[in-house]
Order: sequence, then structure tokens, then C-alpha cells
Amino acid sequence: MNLYLYLEKKTSVHGLDPRTKIFILFVTFIIALLYQHPLYSFAVFFLVLLHGLISKTLINLKIVWRLILLIDFLTILIWSITAGGENIIVWRISIQSILYGISSAMKISLMIIAGIIFLSTTKNEEMALGLIRLGIPYRMSFVFSTALRLVPTLAGTGATVIQAQRSRGLDLDEGNIFERVRKYIPLLVPIFLSTIRSTNLLAQALESKGFGYKEKRSFYLMLEFKVRDYILIFFLLILLLINVYLRLKGYGRIEGLRM
Amino acid sequence: MENIISLRGLTFKYKNSKKKAIDSVNLEIGKGKLAVIMGPSSAGKSTLCLTLNGLIPKLIKGEFHGNVFLAGKKISEHQVSELAPVIGHVFQDFESQLFSTNVELEVAFGPENLGLERSEIKRRIDNALSLVGLSDFKHRQPATLSGGEKQRLAIASILSIEPEILCFDEPTTDLDPEGKENIFRICRKLKKDSSRTMLFVEHETEEVLDADLIIIMKDGKILKDGIPEQIFKDVKLLKDIGIMPPQITELFYELGFDELPLTEDHAVGIIKKRNLKFSKKRYQELIEKDKKRSQNYGNVIIKIESLHYSYKDGNEILKDITLSIRKGEFLSIIGSNGGGKTTLAKHFNGLLLPTEGNIYTNGKNTKESNLKELSQIVGFVFQNPDHQIFAQTVFEEVSFTPKLLGLPEQEIEKRVRESLEAVSMTGFINADPFSLTKGERQRLAVASVLSAKPEVIVLDEPSTGLDYKELSSMMELLKDLNSKGHTIIIITHSLHVVASYCYRTIVINGGEIIFDLTTREVFQKERELLKAHLKLPRLTSLGNRYGYTLLSVDEFKQVLEIR
Repeated sequence: MNLYLYLEKKTSVHGLDPRTKIFILFVTFIIALLYQHPLYSFAVFFLVLLHGLISKTLINLKIVWRLILLIDFLTILIWSITAGGENIIVWRISIQSILYGISSAMKISLMIIAGIIFLSTTKNEEMALGLIRLGIPYRMSFVFSTALRLVPTLAGTGATVIQAQRSRGLDLDEGNIFERVRKYIPLLVPIFLSTIRSTNLLAQALESKGFGYKEKRSFYLMLEFKVRDYILIFFLLILLLINVYLRLKGYGRIEGLRM
Repeated sequence: MENIISLRGLTFKYKNSKKKAIDSVNLEIGKGKLAVIMGPSSAGKSTLCLTLNGLIPKLIKGEFHGNVFLAGKKISEHQVSELAPVIGHVFQDFESQLFSTNVELEVAFGPENLGLERSEIKRRIDNALSLVGLSDFKHRQPATLSGGEKQRLAIASILSIEPEILCFDEPTTDLDPEGKENIFRICRKLKKDSSRTMLFVEHETEEVLDADLIIIMKDGKILKDGIPEQIFKDVKLLKDIGIMPPQITELFYELGFDELPLTEDHAVGIIKKRNLKFSKKRYQELIEKDKKRSQNYGNVIIKIESLHYSYKDGNEILKDITLSIRKGEFLSIIGSNGGGKTTLAKHFNGLLLPTEGNIYTNGKNTKESNLKELSQIVGFVFQNPDHQIFAQTVFEEVSFTPKLLGLPEQEIEKRVRESLEAVSMTGFINADPFSLTKGERQRLAVASVLSAKPEVIVLDEPSTGLDYKELSSMMELLKDLNSKGHTIIIITHSLHVVASYCYRTIVINGGEIIFDLTTREVFQKERELLKAHLKLPRLTSLGNRYGYTLLSVDEFKQVLEIR
């Protein structure tokens, strides 16, 4: 299984400057968080799906859609009970709290999906370089992109360890919850130790390849703001302003919701 | 001329270790030379390599004395990263050295750190990738490459820095024979450039015959150094230290000859000169013995009927595999990487289930049994023992499966004792598994599989990372278990191990069985094996020239008639 999400495709989204992509992600998050009402959240959700469609990256959702549904279900459940509203249906559940729950679920899903689309259209190195150009120090953005890079490696080690212990008779689906938790020790120890070992080696390899040789390193990748980047960013700014304006005007709220 | 590498009185002791890893080492290596360091496990070879660019003691702490000079520079006065243009390191574990998401960027990383111009970086990328034969892979993701390709990429990512010295620390240990051969080919190519100095740590003598200097290390000290001719003919020394001598040389040494060959051609010359003849009668006796052995096996314990296996994406890994394995066999599965060996073996204990076809262990279809039941019939030892060792004591580790099986306390203790006895580690019962050497951890992994009392033991690459002595003792252990009735199946790249220990060999290539015969019969088919990227040990190859497929030095001694 390959958990590295980037998909090498030639779409108009892939060709954007990573800074533009980071900005898209940023604007998506802000707009999503502005509104309470599910109709508005759904509009943003729809735009995110459109973004995924254009970039041909929705296929990566097949890894996480179950998780997203689970989170949605729990979110709706929890907010329905905990948020207060005027029109009670049963017990503490009101029309307002259900609507709020649905909206929150929608927001969480769209943020996860937007994040996945971002990772599917941006190489780690591009992301790192984008962050550097935005003023983040090289070392920090390197740490960030390497951490992302380590996720698939970790998953690979995990899969091997699970197979090794299962062939020694470890059955993870057996027993009550406490017994099951204890069963993860034989998995976690080898995964943890081999990760430490390989991280150690990574450090050695980095040093040997001259990491930090000069104050200012050069970059083979070239970032270039093209016309379409400017247009898109301009458009996104307008979009953001409009939405902030609407929010200030009081749109997108749920009447009678008590938090 | 001044030597490019110069070590003076180098001593290092790792933190928390009682023993010195290297002990007053002095070494001089001239510019443009290819030097090879050999020696048993924990001889200090890797430690020595790590001192060269200062990773020891700057990153890895401990007690350090002495001086390293590279190209006249005193290493202790420089940062590790400052030395990148002087010395480049290629490590054994290729997975951990690669971190970029595409081949080109991986190679660009070094030159980027040096702050080079983009056009210069591009030139270096093209140059380095063409040297290692990966020019067509520029935009591939390193994770999708084979092991051999990954290691070549790791080499390219160092070559692009264009260091004066290249240090390879067992770069071929985890590779299949084809991958190994490719690395050695690159090294021969690099050697032609006389301005580049290379230092190589390697186990296999046959691959380093054209080195300029062989350095033998043991217990942190340099025991001997010299040209290959001189070192490799000292068969007794090599064996004493725990380095496998070239088998051809060993044969003539055992025959008591004064003239010792290193190469096949030289051996042919000696056979002609001394008028050595092969005895047809004795060879027939060997073949009879093979036959007799085959007849004495027990019932069928693993039976596979037209098995197919495909990944979820539809990629077919195994195609129409049919075979049966009988009790008491000692067999090997060989073939190049990606051919499906491990995938097949994981079907034996039900870790994988066939997409099509059936597999029966002890008469029961694996689709209808659970892993716990199967673990008592088929034990599986994974390639890397560190992927399964988790406990704080050896006892706890070995008792893991018996406890899961819910056996009574007394029985558990008995099984742990017996298993540790079988791998001769009785004294380690309370030891911390992580304080053991690689060879011992490998044995521990075997013991923890033995405690389930499986009839069949499958081992995936049991020879990886073991030195000659550790390997011999591992294989003798398996031989012993086999003679006690266990069926042994090994998946391996080391054809000399197959030759010396396995009676039956299954060759898998491209997901299909191409041979399933006695090892002798398989090794007769030298040309077909080569097509499947399997190169026979030189000793067997030598016998094949005369039409006698002999598998070990002992067999040669039996069949050769000396007048």
C-alpha cells in the first residue's frame, strides 16, 4: 500500500505555484469556518469537490472515506446533544442543534478533503519550497515535509510487523477491549524501535550529503508565479472578502441556536 | 605523494558499551585506490567508516581518540556537512537514506546543499543518473523502485556531490544477486576514474578480487592488509576470523596443493596441469544418494493446487503454482526479487490467501483455518528479526506464542527451554533481546517460532546481515532441526547456501515456477538460471564445465581423483 498521496497528473491545478495552492487551502478553511448553517457549508463543500474533480484527485478519497463518514456521524451525534436550540424535538435534541451538527460535519469533511487534494497535487519538495518562499526557515519546512514523507514509511513498517506477529499467532480481533489494547504492545515496540533506528540513519545520511553546508542553499526546483496564479489569487481574495462581508451582514447563521 | 586517507591511532568506544569498537587503528590509503574492508560482525568496520566524515564522534557520541586526515584535512576541525565534497557515504539500509519524492530531486539534494547553480545541478543529476543507469527514472517516485534501483539511486545521490572519496558500507547486503551485480558493475566503472578513491565494506570475497587493497579487521583492530592474491590465499586465516574464503581457493587448499587459484580459469589450468580427473562412479553414488533421500520423505504436509494470487489492483503476482512439500524436506525457493518468492511463502501459513486455487496444510484448506491453528503447523521467521522482537526478556519473547495458545505454565516453561536449547541460547533466558547481536537475534526469532512446535519452518532470507560464522551456525541449526523431523523451507539469494544445505530447489521467475527439482538438477541448468538472473557459485560453475554438478567443497573432494 502506498500512502504517499501525490498523484503525478497534468491538470491545471497541478501546474499552479505551491504558494497559490497553500492560499487556496487557507481560503477554503477560513470560508468554511465563517458559517454555521449547513446550506452555506454545503456550498463550500461543493466547491471543494469541484476542485478535486478538476485536479483528478478524488480517487485518493477511497483510502479515507470510511473514516470521514465515521467522523461525520460522531460529529452530528455529539453536536445534536451538546448544542442547544429553541425548537426541541426530543430530550436535548433540537432542530437547531441537528443543523449545527450537520454543518460541523460538513466543515470537517471538507477540510480533510481539501487537505488531501492539496497533498495529492503538491510534491513534498514543492510544498517545502513554497513555505520557504513564504518566509518559513528552510530547516523548519524541511522538518515538516520530511515528517509527511515518513508517514508512508511508518505504515509500511507497521504492515510488516503486523504480519510477523500474526504469524506467531497474535489475533487482534479477540478478547475484550483491555485485552485488545494489550495486544498492541508487540506491534508498537518493534515499529517504534525501527522508526527510531531509521530516523537515526536518516540524520546520518543528511549530514553526509552536506545538509547545512552553506547558510544559503540553492534549489533545483523553480517556483514561478504565472499569470493564472495571479488571477486565481485575485479571485480568491475577492471571494474571501465577499464571504466576510456576508458573514458580517449576518448571513449563514442558525436562528435560535444557543451555544 | 600524500595519502588521501590517513588514520592515526584511532580508538572509539560507544557510549554504554564496555568494549572498544575500534582500537588504535592506523591506516593509509593512496589516492585513486579501491580498498575493501572485510571482517566478521562487530569487527568495527562500520564504526571505522563513520569516523571518516566525523559522524563519529560528532553525531554518535562516545569515547574517541586519535586523528583522521582526509586529503590533508584534519577531520576534527570540520563540521560533518563541510566534508560532503571530500567524502560521500552510501549506507546498507537504502530505505532510510532516501527521503525525496522523486528521483531527480533526490540526486539534487546534495548539490543544492552546496549552493550550486541550477545549470550545474542539472549537469550533475544527468551525469550521476547515467553512471548508475537510472536516466530513464528521473520522474519516478523512489518508493516505487526495486531494492537494487533504490541503492543505485542512493549512490547517484552521493555521486552528484562529486566527493573525492566514496565510502560504501555493505551496500549490497540487502540486495538480490542481480542488484548486487549492478552495484559491483558501477564500482568497476567508477574505478576507471583514477581520481576517485573508494572504500568498500563487503562480505563476499568473490566480488572484490579486483580491489587494490584488502583490509582484514577483527575486534576493532586491523589484523592484516594486502593485495587480494595474498589475503585470499590465506584460507586458514580467513576461516579462523570468520570470513568465507573463495570456495575455489578453499577447494585446492583442502586438496593440499601449494598453487592456489582465485579464479575459475586459473583452477581449470591447475586441473589440467595436475591431470586431475573426475570419477564417474563416485558422481553416480552422489546422485543415488539424492534419490534415496527423496524416497524417504514422509507424507505431504503442504499441497498447493493451481494457486493464483493477485493484488487488489489486479496485478498478478503468482500464476498457476502447483506443488507439494513432504515431511522432512529441506528445500529452498530462489529467484530474483519481485518474482513472487515471499508472496508464495506467505501462503503456507495463511498470511495470504490465494485469489484462485487452493492450498492445504496438513490436509486442511488454509481458507478454512485461522492463523493461530496454522502457526502450530507452519512457523514463519521473517527476514528482519527486529520486526518481531518486542519483549524485555528472551523468556518473554519465546513464550509469546505458547501463551497465546493458552498452554499451562509448566508446558510453556518446558517449550521455552527446549526452543532455546535447540538454537543453543540456553544461557540467554533472562537477557534483554536488544542487547544481542544480529546473529543471536536471528536465532531468537527462530526459537520463538519453534516454541509453537511447528512441523514446517519457513525462513525468509535467513542469511541477511550474518557473517560467515553466524551464517554457518544458523544453517547447521536448521540442518539439525531438519534431522529431528522438521520440514525446512528457506527463501534466499545465497546460492552457495542452497548448494550446501538444500536438497530440493524451486526456482520462481515472473510469478511462475520454472524449475522444481533436486538442487543438483537445478544447478545443472546454468544457462537457464542466468536468464532468470541467478548466477551459480563459481565452484559449482567450475564442476559444470566438466559435466559434473558438484555442490560443495566436500563433494569435489569425494569425486576428484588425485593421482
